[in-house]
Amino acid sequence: MSAVTDQDHMNHIDRMDHMDHMDHMDRIEHGDHNGQEDSGPVGSADSVDHEGHSRPADRPGHSGEEDRVPEPEAPEASESHDSSASVESSAEPWESGESGESRGDGEASTTDATPENHAPSECDPEGDVQRDARVKAGDGGSGRMDHVIREDHADRTDHADRMDPGDRGGDEDQGGPADRGGHEDRTGRTDWADHPEAGPAWDDGLIARRVAEGAAGAEQAAAVNLAEPRLGEPRLGGPQPVTPPAYDGPLRSRLDALRELVGLSRARLDSRTLAEAGRVLDEATARRRLSGQHTVVAIAGATGSGKSQLFNALAGVTLSETGVRRPTTAAPIACSWSDGAAPLIDRLGIPPRLRRRPAQHADADGLLRGLVLVDLPDLDSAAVQHREQAERVLALVDAVVWVVDPEKYADAVLHERYLRPMAGHAEIMFVVLNQIDRLPGEAAEQVLDDLRRLLDEDGIALGEYGEPGANVLALSALTGDGLAELREALGQFVAERGAPIRRISADLDAAAWRLRPLYATGRRTGLSEAARDEFSARLADAVGATAAGEAAERAWLRNANRACGTPWLRLWRWYQDRCEPSTGRLPVRTQADEEATARQRVEQAVRTVADRAATGLPAPWAQAVREAAVRGAQGLPEALDELAARTGLPPGRPPRPGWWPAAVLVQASMTILQIIGGLWLAGQIVGVMAPNLGVPVLLMVSGIVGGPLVEWSCRMAARGPARRYGMEAERRLREAAAGCGRARVLDPVAAELLRYREVREQYVRVIGAGAGAGAGVGGR
Amino acid sequence: MVTLDVRPQLLDALSALRDRVAAARFPLPLAGAPRARANRDELLAQLDDYLVPRLRQPEAPLLAVVGGSTGVGKSTLVNSLVGRRVSEAGVLRPTTRTPVLVCHPEDHHWFSGMRVLPDLTRVWVPQQDAGNEDLLLPGENPARVLRIETTETLPRGLALLDAPDVDSLVADNRVLAAELICAADIWVMVTTAARYADAVPWHLLRTAKEYQVTLITVLDRVPHQVVSEVSRQYGALLTKAGLGDVPRFTVPELPESAWGGGLLPATAVAPLRTWLVHQAQDPVARQHALARTAYGVLDSLKSRMPELASAAAAQYAAALRLTAAVDTAYDSEHARVRGRLQSGAVLAGDALKRWRAFPLDCTAGELLDALVESLADLLLCAVTAADERVDDAWRREPAADAPELAHHDTEPESAEHRIGLAVRRWRRELEEYAEEEVRALERSPASDPEMIAALVATALLGGRRARSAGEGLAERIGAHGALRLRDRGGRLLAEYLDRVIHTERERRLAPLDALDVHPETQAELIAALSVLQKER
Repeated sequence: MSAVTDQDHMNHIDRMDHMDHMDHMDRIEHGDHNGQEDSGPVGSADSVDHEGHSRPADRPGHSGEEDRVPEPEAPEASESHDSSASVESSAEPWESGESGESRGDGEASTTDATPENHAPSECDPEGDVQRDARVKAGDGGSGRMDHVIREDHADRTDHADRMDPGDRGGDEDQGGPADRGGHEDRTGRTDWADHPEAGPAWDDGLIARRVAEGAAGAEQAAAVNLAEPRLGEPRLGGPQPVTPPAYDGPLRSRLDALRELVGLSRARLDSRTLAEAGRVLDEATARRRLSGQHTVVAIAGATGSGKSQLFNALAGVTLSETGVRRPTTAAPIACSWSDGAAPLIDRLGIPPRLRRRPAQHADADGLLRGLVLVDLPDLDSAAVQHREQAERVLALVDAVVWVVDPEKYADAVLHERYLRPMAGHAEIMFVVLNQIDRLPGEAAEQVLDDLRRLLDEDGIALGEYGEPGANVLALSALTGDGLAELREALGQFVAERGAPIRRISADLDAAAWRLRPLYATGRRTGLSEAARDEFSARLADAVGATAAGEAAERAWLRNANRACGTPWLRLWRWYQDRCEPSTGRLPVRTQADEEATARQRVEQAVRTVADRAATGLPAPWAQAVREAAVRGAQGLPEALDELAARTGLPPGRPPRPGWWPAAVLVQASMTILQIIGGLWLAGQIVGVMAPNLGVPVLLMVSGIVGGPLVEWSCRMAARGPARRYGMEAERRLREAAAGCGRARVLDPVAAELLRYREVREQYVRVIGAGAGAGAGVGGR
Repeated sequence: MVTLDVRPQLLDALSALRDRVAAARFPLPLAGAPRARANRDELLAQLDDYLVPRLRQPEAPLLAVVGGSTGVGKSTLVNSLVGRRVSEAGVLRPTTRTPVLVCHPEDHHWFSGMRVLPDLTRVWVPQQDAGNEDLLLPGENPARVLRIETTETLPRGLALLDAPDVDSLVADNRVLAAELICAADIWVMVTTAARYADAVPWHLLRTAKEYQVTLITVLDRVPHQVVSEVSRQYGALLTKAGLGDVPRFTVPELPESAWGGGLLPATAVAPLRTWLVHQAQDPVARQHALARTAYGVLDSLKSRMPELASAAAAQYAAALRLTAAVDTAYDSEHARVRGRLQSGAVLAGDALKRWRAFPLDCTAGELLDALVESLADLLLCAVTAADERVDDAWRREPAADAPELAHHDTEPESAEHRIGLAVRRWRRELEEYAEEEVRALERSPASDPEMIAALVATALLGGRRARSAGEGLAERIGAHGALRLRDRGGRLLAEYLDRVIHTERERRLAPLDALDVHPETQAELIAALSVLQKER
């Protein structure tokens, strides 16, 4: 069992490609090493050395491990290359600690050379873990050859090569010591950015403080990662017929609604906010293109919980390396129970080298037909890239088996960072309490109950009594206790073939929930009639409609009085005016003023109406409404100026009531009566006429009394028409101003509100009819 | 050989520094603020719980705090070291919710008082079995309680503290764990074969390295088949972290150990126990352990205090930015209002129409009313616009998310009310001025004070288009009087304008001022540190 045999077995179809990429990686330093490796058995002295070191040290642990595995080595003759290779390689233990140490030291010395701060040295343990777990290409090519874990790592780099730049960048971070600080920081915040509710709880000082440093960069990186779901090249897709999962009516319409929602919102919301929704859509599309006959189930959990053990136990052969060295598994490994799953696995970015088949006897009953099991790296070790890989795959699989063990089942990392944010995905979750063989007697039951309690506190619905929810099981992958139940549950789950749809649906729920503050409001929104009226009234104030009306009314009244007044009074007034031209009589200006409209009132009116309209709207939409109002208000004062000048007074001469000539006539006749009476009296005094005192005095008195009487009654009578005239003037201004305001401000605002309402309806559709009522967005 | 001789000046400097740290506040929600707050609490706790008492009384017993992740068997370890079940152990996580301190009966007085860990309520469970939380007083938070146990099996001069989990699901437990660990002379970090690569404990180990405390690690629950392998790998990780010289103890997984809460056989923990007892009893080793941790923490102040200071500076800078945003907004609005006053914007709309109709179809009172209303509108508009600009500017400031700032009470009605009051008061004073002027003129029966007031107001507020008002005024009360009246009125107007804007600005700034972010905090922190450095 040498490096060479391993290599040979590993040399399946992807080999060329793989080596190409390794070449690419290695050529910088170890170009010739590569050549040797390719050619086969020319294992360098190094590799022999390594084996010499590692064997004795590893033996005890390894043999213990072998004892535990029920069927340690059962390679079927008909097994594929993958399977046998992995079996053999499993006999080949992990890399020795010493070699890791020595290499690490070399690396550490280079790190120490950077003098700025001691951040690099702080990060060293992680670097060490990384180096132990995943061999760097630069560590000497031969080392990689004899250990399957190294092979895995090479795969990983190879895989990284093929990945998009975002992922690649993450990998390369580890190389440069200068980047270490930032890289280490990526540990936590990456997902907190996605799950804000989990964030603050973990920012507690001494323990987790370091995690949060420089989170911004990591967030962005994460955003990039999330925003670009990858599709592996369907190289191995083959000609197999693909039956995509049938998205049933509601889900499809919800997805369509979300797509439309994103489209409608693009102009209003920034793209980062919509990235998550876009990701869900892309994933849904991508998953839909692929096989619906298969269910991709990932095994996730903390380091040392026995994920790989469970994986192997389900597969019936040792496909994934297990061990005591933490963390063990560095790259995801897939195992497919039936054919045609290659495109699905491509999507997960798992290279063909890491694809396995289960042992035949394990699949004898065909119970798990259609299952694609993925063994993930750990989620909580100091090796950050493990977590990144695991999270990347977790976002793409159809279902998850969370493996916990009695020691770690209450870890904050697992619950706060993963289970709580994924509480909505309960239906596609299995929670497995592994290693119950380590618990005495009834303690297993106790722990399981406690685990159920914790899950319940996390908000995860438990699938008890036939209700939909997470399946919680206790088992021991080592002794096989309880494994049958898991197989059965998994088999049933896979046979239903509902997982992809449920996954998408849960993703959709989560995305919709996260978008909720952007779309939903608890209050009624819209511009009330009262607010519109108030706006019009304020505009009317701004152009001075009331004052204009009053002024018109009084002017009309004044003119009427003058027209119907007694001539004597007019004469007296005229005389007074002539005597003191300065008293109060200012020349009446008729020219139009510039800026006749009160700018501040228009501004205030627009602001108020925009505020009213924006009340209760989610922030981006409120902003849009305000902007619409402000945009509309530009030029509004000028328009009002012009309008006020144009429609200040009713056109033409002020209307005169029909009785006016009569009144003037009566007034004139009164004056004539006075004059006649006066003349008559004068004639009597002179003696021209017969002395008859009564009649002329009567005439004169009636003229003198009647004149003011007529004037007074005319004034009374003129009030009505004057009022009408003033009202008319006011109304004209008011209406013109309101019309102007409506066209320029209210209509755009209303359009914006309509747009929001449309989007909200779309959002309600995304939430789905059932959840819609609960979300309180208001019915359609 | 470092020894722990402490001069009183150092203690004084340290308590001064402690007060400075206690006084530091980070109320604005900046990016670094939560961490600064946590750092401050942590530092304060470490000063109170550990450094000050330790320097004051170097003869007090050594305190070894056993910390680690959930389920690593801290309680079992403590029980086994003591040889008696003093801390409950079990399979359900998290097990230890109440920290337990174990010491020799004669050492009890060191810990029963508030010398160390003054924040924690002491619970004294005499002798019986492991105490349960029924004994707590009702209403007491179990997390903030320290249970003290005494046992003869522990030598004098050594106390063990079983801390809660550092990664517990209960956030309070995590904080408490950190606080307790910070109070230790000897940090005992426990991990297991399944956990030694977990991220969280490594953060703690790095902190320990940073503070240069006396640290030992225990690798617990190692299945005997893999002891050497796991222990070697753990050692490699530690070496890589620069912690290679840290004493390492391995405790195998034994059937009686783990999940029942039994005691490990004495042989399993003998090396650890021996080491601890040696530290406690050998004066040289004890001195060394004490001094290393104490000076380590003292040294760590060199980096932690500037960190706090820079956080304080960032707070002040943010507060300054917020204040500047308010000032800019109000200043520019102030300037705008003045400009518009000069251009006669008040004499527009209603007021303008009234003025046009003035002597004939409009009374002086009505004209004054309209002018005052228009002026109030102008001011209100300016204030609202300024507020809007402040909101805009603050939206870009993370510091403005502070809840205290979010609920500023500038509902427009009240601003309207205040401005209306001010403007009406201005009008009344203007009318008084006008009356004085009119009274001063012996002749002029025709001059109605209200008319004069209206003309003055128009002339003041109307800008260019109210030139005729000025002329009319001069005709009525003479050019001299008119000039004087206009001057006084103008000064009054400017004064009221300033007052209104100033009041509103102050109201807007009040919540920010209430947060009490000073520039001195930074300087004080640094000064306290430098005094401390000098005294060492």
